[in-house]
Amino acid sequence: MNKAGTDIQFAICGSAGDGTIAAGDIMKRAAAAMGFHVIAFDVYPPEIRGFGKCISRIRVSSEQAYSLKEQTDVFVSLNDGHAIPHVGEVRDCGAVIYDDHLIAPVPEGGHISAHVRPAQIPYGLPIRQVSEQATNSARSRNIVVLGYVAGLLDMPPEPFHKVVNQKFATKPPAVAEANIKAFDAGFEVGRKVFRLDDVEVGSAPEADRGEAVMMTGNGAIARGFLEAGIQSYFGYPITPATSIMERLAVELPKAGGRFLQTEDEISAISATIGAGFAGSRAATATSGPGLALMTEMLGLGVMAEVPAVIVCSQRGGPSTGLPTKTEQSDLNLAVFGGSGDAPRIVIAPTNVEGCYRCAGMAFEIAEAFQVPVILLIDLYLSNRYETVFPSGRNVFAPKPRQAPERREGEEYKRFALTESHISPRALPGDPDMMYTATGLEHNELGKPGDVLHMKMNAKRHEKLKPATRYPGLTTCKRFGAEGKVDVGILGWGSTFGEILEAMFEAQEEGISCSAMKVVMLSPLPEEELRAFFDDCEVVLVPELNYQGQFANLVSGALGRPVVRLDRTCATPMAVADILAEVRRLASDVNEPAHAAAGGGA
Amino acid sequence: MNERVEPVYLEEKLEEIRADGHLRYRSRSLPTWCPGCGYFSMADGLTVALNRLGLDNKDVVVVSGIGCASRFPFFVNTYGFHTLHGRVLPVATGVKIGNDALTVIAVGGDGDAFAIGAGHIPHAARRNVDMTYLVFDNGIYGLTKGQTSPTSALGFRTSSTPYENGDMPLNPLLMLLSYEASWVGQAYAGRPHHLTDMITMAIEHKGFSFLRILSPCVTFDKTDNTYRNLGMKVRDIPEDHDPSDRLAAMALAMEEDHPALGLFYREDRDTLGEVMQDAARKAQAMNLAPKGL
Repeated sequence: MNKAGTDIQFAICGSAGDGTIAAGDIMKRAAAAMGFHVIAFDVYPPEIRGFGKCISRIRVSSEQAYSLKEQTDVFVSLNDGHAIPHVGEVRDCGAVIYDDHLIAPVPEGGHISAHVRPAQIPYGLPIRQVSEQATNSARSRNIVVLGYVAGLLDMPPEPFHKVVNQKFATKPPAVAEANIKAFDAGFEVGRKVFRLDDVEVGSAPEADRGEAVMMTGNGAIARGFLEAGIQSYFGYPITPATSIMERLAVELPKAGGRFLQTEDEISAISATIGAGFAGSRAATATSGPGLALMTEMLGLGVMAEVPAVIVCSQRGGPSTGLPTKTEQSDLNLAVFGGSGDAPRIVIAPTNVEGCYRCAGMAFEIAEAFQVPVILLIDLYLSNRYETVFPSGRNVFAPKPRQAPERREGEEYKRFALTESHISPRALPGDPDMMYTATGLEHNELGKPGDVLHMKMNAKRHEKLKPATRYPGLTTCKRFGAEGKVDVGILGWGSTFGEILEAMFEAQEEGISCSAMKVVMLSPLPEEELRAFFDDCEVVLVPELNYQGQFANLVSGALGRPVVRLDRTCATPMAVADILAEVRRLASDVNEPAHAAAGGGA
Repeated sequence: MNERVEPVYLEEKLEEIRADGHLRYRSRSLPTWCPGCGYFSMADGLTVALNRLGLDNKDVVVVSGIGCASRFPFFVNTYGFHTLHGRVLPVATGVKIGNDALTVIAVGGDGDAFAIGAGHIPHAARRNVDMTYLVFDNGIYGLTKGQTSPTSALGFRTSSTPYENGDMPLNPLLMLLSYEASWVGQAYAGRPHHLTDMITMAIEHKGFSFLRILSPCVTFDKTDNTYRNLGMKVRDIPEDHDPSDRLAAMALAMEEDHPALGLFYREDRDTLGEVMQDAARKAQAMNLAPKGL
């Protein structure tokens, strides 16, 4: 998508241990400090130390962007072996930066300079030498090259200095000093070479929404939880959800909350449900394999009508699958997982800001509907950085609780059948309302005798219906052209960023199209979805799984056909793939004869 | 021998029971256990213990898993949570962390505790969660109508071991003693007064208290753990046993032919709640920056 003003994508590629991710981290924070919108995503190997490939990609723009760009403007290699396969992603007239003073001979074709296309602009510099001269060590290569890029693009050094100082604040002062020296040395070299005039960093837009904060999806969820007054957290480490736990391990005790690392995911969800039963705002976070273990207890939460919040950050599956690669293949598990008819609320934010807002609202929704709420994200959303503008006000703070009123002489009916299907909930400690919650089907008193299975089943399902219109939460939203369109793109989760980019590009090409994101996957906002289907000649559903899980969910619920675009490429979906499909569908709609001849979808 | 026995009149006895007050801990639901089940004396024991300790009904939560013993919360007039098979301890841990002011009592049978739930016991014990875990151990699965359990004896015949049980039974006391439980005791359903005293002591203990209660299953076990057999086997814990001596407690626990009834081991150490309060104090003092910015 062409944007007015600045829109640069920077990528740095190296081997684990080169400081690739650290350099990318400084770049994105410096850009955010300058006031730009930033989207960044790091790719790293599952091994902790070794020779795995790391890439940090950072898009810096003066207008809000929705995904990374297909093509990189400025690319840095810290390890040619890893970087060579990625040179192709640099656009024409884009910069390829590498070390041109090697310390050992390389085999033919082993140096990146042999792979730079004529249309790309090579920038060779003695990265290692500059690092050694500046800091007596080759370990600052990542920072040298960062300074070089800043010099090359005429970016001010001060924000970088500030971020370096912050990053190493807990280390001895010499560490930050050495890094600043390395940065300045690279900066000087970068300023002296000929300008990369095709790429320009303009000035940042005036911030009108308050101060931007850089955060990952996981960081945003932790922040949303804290602002919503989370009281207890139970977790078990699992990629890519672990950083939520690590953040809360630090922050929750500060806020007077309680944090526990449990012995497994079953224990984590059990304690979360137990704490929820006792009236505490409790949460846990996991990934697909952990959610699979949790489903039995999730069913108890549904049956006993206990509020709880469960984050599931999806990764490639099934089984251990691809722990460090993104996928959207746990939708079925989140929406349907468990025994029996067990309706729950599933909320899938589409960007980092959404993670923050949905996490902030999740407890209130769980309490309002007395049900477990699953926040379904994925590795791409967990780990990608975006600039977020937090509310600043205390919007997510818990509202005062109203204890149920007890009628004199009547036994308290915990599961009373009411018009709203929601029964006033007593908490342990409330006088004269002692009851036993159970996973057995029960009657209004909660007793497993004289059960009302049909009525209770209806209650558990019907009570959730108004959740799609819960005030303050966007459960679905349409973007692009209003009214009738040729192609509608329906999306969920992190893939919606790519969908929006593709939709805007298609619109610029003159294609009549519109996109809709669905944030609440269970219950589905069916009325809005029906209206969208009515407006679109054809609906495309791009998602990162093999089975088309969301397509199945929507077409099953609405009884309408959809065109699927399913990818399990272990990376975010390519905007070009979506765009190609939108073009094809648009031409099918406008030239039905061609479609008939071509066989259609 | 010819001394005249004073008659006990039902009406007077009922009055005495009502005046005692422990009936306010009974719920209106009648226990669903088989007539003669050892679990009745545990239900009585707990209600009497709650009454003795003067705990308010509203401040007590009885959490259970699945099984005959786990039906227990329905029969007491406190808050209750009848959860999933094997998950009583993590749920009870969550309840206690969720509201520290509550008295949390976890109950379950031997299958719930030592088969499906065995992985949770060491962690609840080593964390010293301030709660009481009552395990009603009859060495059989009653609710599913008589299969072998992890504490069934070698050679025991059940519907799932028609050719005799060949799995070594677990020693629950030895397990708990090595899991760092801070209070370990044993009682017998056939000695209700002692059982009541033990439940009272277990609830009074600050930290994780584990009470194994030997009980017969009158319906599915006519050969092994009967009142007659258990009654002949059990003995009082030796008077000179020092409950602060863990090795001695372990030696005693290994004398399985004659289970000793009483307090095996007790120690005072910080509970999970206290550790968490300490973490909150340290968090204030240290003001750690989170990883990343």
